Amino acid sequence: MSKSIKVKDLTVKIGERTILNDITLDIPHGQWTCLVGPNGAGKTTFLKVLLGVREYSGSIQDEGIEVFRNHKRNVAFVPQQPEIPTGMSVAEYVSLGRSKVEGWGVESARSRSFIEEVLIQTQLYGMHERQIAQLSGGEMQRALIARALAQEPELILLDEPTSALDLHHQISVLNNIELLKTEGVTVISTMHDITLAAMYAERIVVMHEGKVLLGGKASDVIHSAELRTAYDNRINVFTLDSGRPVIVARKEEN
Amino acid sequence: MFKKYLIVRPSYCFFGLISLTILSPAPAHSASPIHRIISLSPSATEDLFAIGAGSQVIAVDPLSNFPAKAPTSKLDAFNPNVEAIAAYKPDLVVLNSGATKAISIKNALQKLKIRVYFETAPTDMNGAYREISDLGSLTGRKLQAQSLVRSMKMEIKKAIASAKKKNPFSFYHELDDTLYSVTSETFIGKVYKDFNLANIADAAASADSYGYPQLTPEYVVQANPALIFLSDAQYGTNASSVSSRPGWASIKAITGGHVIALPKDIPSRWGPRLVDFYKVVANSIAGVN
Amino acid sequence: MTSDNKNQGVGIGQIWNWQITAACALILIAVAFLAISFGPIHLGFLDIIKTLLGMNGLEGQQRTVLLDLRLPRMILAALVGAALATSGAVYQTVFRNPLADPYLLGAASGAGLGATIAITNAGGNIYGWLPVFSFLGATLAVLTSFFISGKFFAEPNTLLLSGIAVGSFATAVQTYLQQRHSNALRPVYSWILGELTVANWSIISWSSIYIFASLAVLISISKKLDGLLLSDEESFSLGINPNRLRMIAVAAATLATATAVSASGLIGFVGIVVPHLVRGLTHRVTNRSLATIALAGAAFLVLADLGARSILSPAELPIGVITAFVGAPFFLFVLRTRRVSHS
Repeated sequence: MSKSIKVKDLTVKIGERTILNDITLDIPHGQWTCLVGPNGAGKTTFLKVLLGVREYSGSIQDEGIEVFRNHKRNVAFVPQQPEIPTGMSVAEYVSLGRSKVEGWGVESARSRSFIEEVLIQTQLYGMHERQIAQLSGGEMQRALIARALAQEPELILLDEPTSALDLHHQISVLNNIELLKTEGVTVISTMHDITLAAMYAERIVVMHEGKVLLGGKASDVIHSAELRTAYDNRINVFTLDSGRPVIVARKEEN
Repeated sequence: MFKKYLIVRPSYCFFGLISLTILSPAPAHSASPIHRIISLSPSATEDLFAIGAGSQVIAVDPLSNFPAKAPTSKLDAFNPNVEAIAAYKPDLVVLNSGATKAISIKNALQKLKIRVYFETAPTDMNGAYREISDLGSLTGRKLQAQSLVRSMKMEIKKAIASAKKKNPFSFYHELDDTLYSVTSETFIGKVYKDFNLANIADAAASADSYGYPQLTPEYVVQANPALIFLSDAQYGTNASSVSSRPGWASIKAITGGHVIALPKDIPSRWGPRLVDFYKVVANSIAGVN
Repeated sequence: MTSDNKNQGVGIGQIWNWQITAACALILIAVAFLAISFGPIHLGFLDIIKTLLGMNGLEGQQRTVLLDLRLPRMILAALVGAALATSGAVYQTVFRNPLADPYLLGAASGAGLGATIAITNAGGNIYGWLPVFSFLGATLAVLTSFFISGKFFAEPNTLLLSGIAVGSFATAVQTYLQQRHSNALRPVYSWILGELTVANWSIISWSSIYIFASLAVLISISKKLDGLLLSDEESFSLGINPNRLRMIAVAAATLATATAVSASGLIGFVGIVVPHLVRGLTHRVTNRSLATIALAGAAFLVLADLGARSILSPAELPIGVITAFVGAPFFLFVLRTRRVSHS
């Protein structure tokens, strides 16, 4: 595995609008990179382009191959708003992930035990016969992660994995993802909550209006001027005694 | 000796021919008599009974309501079930080509070795006469068929002669209350034409009305027919409902009281009761002036 | 990744059980035999079996009734039922809509228009041209739906809207034609209600080829179709090209539908009821059920046809009436359970 995903002169347009504007960036494998930035910065589009499902001009190379429509990679995608199939049970849903590893419709014993483990890991084991459509927000998110885990991916892309969850579930989901990372899976996520991003990600990329303002080590980026610029200087960055940064929005006075 | 020669030889030939006919494997059609007929056409049913073949008819479709003694069954004329027909063990089935899958049904019946008379709707009186004589040949009642045709022709001639005028009246024949009518190229239209009547629908005919144009109220009012014939009388249309249509009160036929409700079924069949149709038209004309 | 509580309780069972498919095949065979055994003319069971096995069974007219009337009709019902049920299931997956049916992209209206054109212009042999025209009508309607969905080619929601537009247009033209040729009303109406009345071996020869071909394609991609139940990005990540798969699926399903419609007219509800029946009974949504759905659809329509010709014998109920009678209440049931599960 090459050491990073190399993005060069990446531009994505829809009609006249430019969504991603001339981005050049390296995303190292084996680490957790988090994209942050205000709405409309192009974070979700960047994720989809990295997945290989969107057209782009410029080049994105992973292991020396362009990512567009490249099915040789094993990339899991966890969307912000997944399509929830009606009538499917949790077990059936999670087993969809196995298709990447073993082909469609294959139900080997190894697959079945893998799915069991994944369900246990995401605390879904007891409810695996329940309908997907009946899960709560937190449970649904865990099912998505479970399906992504079932895929045994090399790279996992997550779009706002915590925005619909309460604090307790946010932490448990992110912990699950961190476990993945310790097994060598590359994680790229987008997040609204920069504090959480700073807690888990090793690298942070600041995006603003389709451009990358800065990308680098989390601790550096958090305290950078570019981060403030991206949010129009409407954020405050505090540091707790433990050294953890906390980023909050600032209320405009006068 | 001479007589023997004249009688015996020909007699031998004659008997020889007869034995040949009896003994040779005759094709099912020509020799076997027909005495189990199923009629899926109301007009053919009327024909069969009129030529005296009623006793050979074992079943007719539900719409064959004349004569009353016809053995109606549940065999649908438009969508017949081939197996159900075969279950009656008929030797002749009269099938109208307007049935939805007429040709496939004919083929299926023939595969079951059942004879089919494939009836097409006639375009004029000659077609109707032809059907009567066909049925006469099939049922072994040629003579009765011939005499029926003769008497029909005579009665029709009489009716026409009694009513035909030099100055043609105009008329409107109504098929339904959305003002569908018939042109003179249709069977019904030709009946009227025999009386020298002027059909107001002729001018409304277009390339794709196929003889059944739809008229508009203004058109009828403007054409101002002297006679109105209602073939939708069995659905409730009558002189008063027609005259209450907006703008129609001024039409000649209505002011003169010459709106004729045609008897049920008669204008839509091409059997022996066509004579009655001619008589109705003749009487209506006689009523004007 | 081992855990303590793995060995308690039942493990994850198999998602799809192929014994169900085998059972459906057996049901189809039983129903098929039932269908060829009943009719206005009585044929003995043993005689039927003997005739089918090529031994000395029925003779003469009875033999013709079995081999040229009942057998082709039953086979056509099975083919059409399988075709409609399978395309219905595929459409429901492609459009992610449990109420989708095989006529969704204007196929029904297109076929109806084609049939009306054939009937109003054919003169003599209507039934020679009718299958060709209705087939063309159905296929062209679906193609048009694809093309007017423009640059959102094969995107489900846009396709659906184009299908509605194309369907409405075709229906309007058909209504216009029927107004101008009122003598064609009865044949068209009777065709629309669907009929298997005079199936014969020649219809079966061409329709079976197309239907088997499309079923083969659909069943071979059936497992991958599960990916289409997810969003395009998710299915891509699992190794599918969603647009291409959708096109192949819709093309094959449309071929099956167009063939079924041109052979037997418009028979409704099969495409909605049967997939839900199978999914409801097996508690599984996976498209691995397609083969089972095909078999179940065949059995369903064979039974419905038996009803259509037996209930009012010797008159024939249009088969569309029977499927609607079963289908409409079922439809409501599906809607209710959907509401319940979503509340």
